[in-house]
Amino acid sequence: MEQRTPSLRSVAWLWFGIALAVLIVGFRQAIFLTPTDAAQGDVGRIIYYHVPSAMMGLVFPYVNFVAALAYLYWRRRDPLRALAADALALAAAEVTVVFVSIGLLTGMLWGRAVWGIWWTWDARLTTYLLLWLLYVSYLLLRRFSSTGESHTLSAVLSVFAAVDVPIVYMSIRWWRTQHPAPVFGGDANSGMDKSMLPAFFWNLAGWAIWGIFILIFRFALERRRQIAEQEAALQAIEASLEIPQ
Amino acid sequence: MTWHSFFNMSTMEHRHLLMAYAVVLLVQAGYFGWTALNWFRLKRPRL
Repeated sequence: MEQRTPSLRSVAWLWFGIALAVLIVGFRQAIFLTPTDAAQGDVGRIIYYHVPSAMMGLVFPYVNFVAALAYLYWRRRDPLRALAADALALAAAEVTVVFVSIGLLTGMLWGRAVWGIWWTWDARLTTYLLLWLLYVSYLLLRRFSSTGESHTLSAVLSVFAAVDVPIVYMSIRWWRTQHPAPVFGGDANSGMDKSMLPAFFWNLAGWAIWGIFILIFRFALERRRQIAEQEAALQAIEASLEIPQ
Repeated sequence: MTWHSFFNMSTMEHRHLLMAYAVVLLVQAGYFGWTALNWFRLKRPRL
């Protein structure tokens, strides 16, 4: 363990540095190098941060989902492994809330400038807001439940919450929405202008690398907290055994 | 676009562009800062 720590720390710093470098390139591409959108003007540059963040908000719920399933499987068979899975589920839920919050806020700022309204109850926006509410309720359940079964309850909730992800993804394909039609994987007229692709892909890569970094950092923090809690419990047991009867 | 036009606050389009980028960077930096703060506050366990 002592030998692994320095190399893991180096990898973490390297990953952090790569994330920042890619994000700086992405910012430069999005703001300074990509031509202004003919239809939307400069406000169209919001999509280079909005779309990658919204996409990450649909990826991390699946990390939470898989970790929650692993927790439910291991909670009786291998409690220590279940604790690690629970820590990953918590980290993924928090990172999901961060990315979905950004997706909602940047979408509203874009909508007000382009549509003239902050919000509309169309299928994409409503299901995306529901996704945010589900993961916020997941975190609130973990924080305030006093049943002693909050980890199990939250794992079950995360299985149900993950169902909303494909609905969000398909909403602009299933229903007519105010939200723009799919840019990738849509009909024959869908797609992005070649001049916009570098800014989009640099930012997508940057926020994906950053998301993985912050997920692992938060997971490591939760593992540290769990181990500290176990240590404190062991010390309390040792202290109680030392009390003369 | 230049730094000057990026910080141009005269139109709603430019204000919202600047706010959107600021929101993204502030939320991500805030979450990273909160995680880092708790990481350094929590002592490394002996186990």
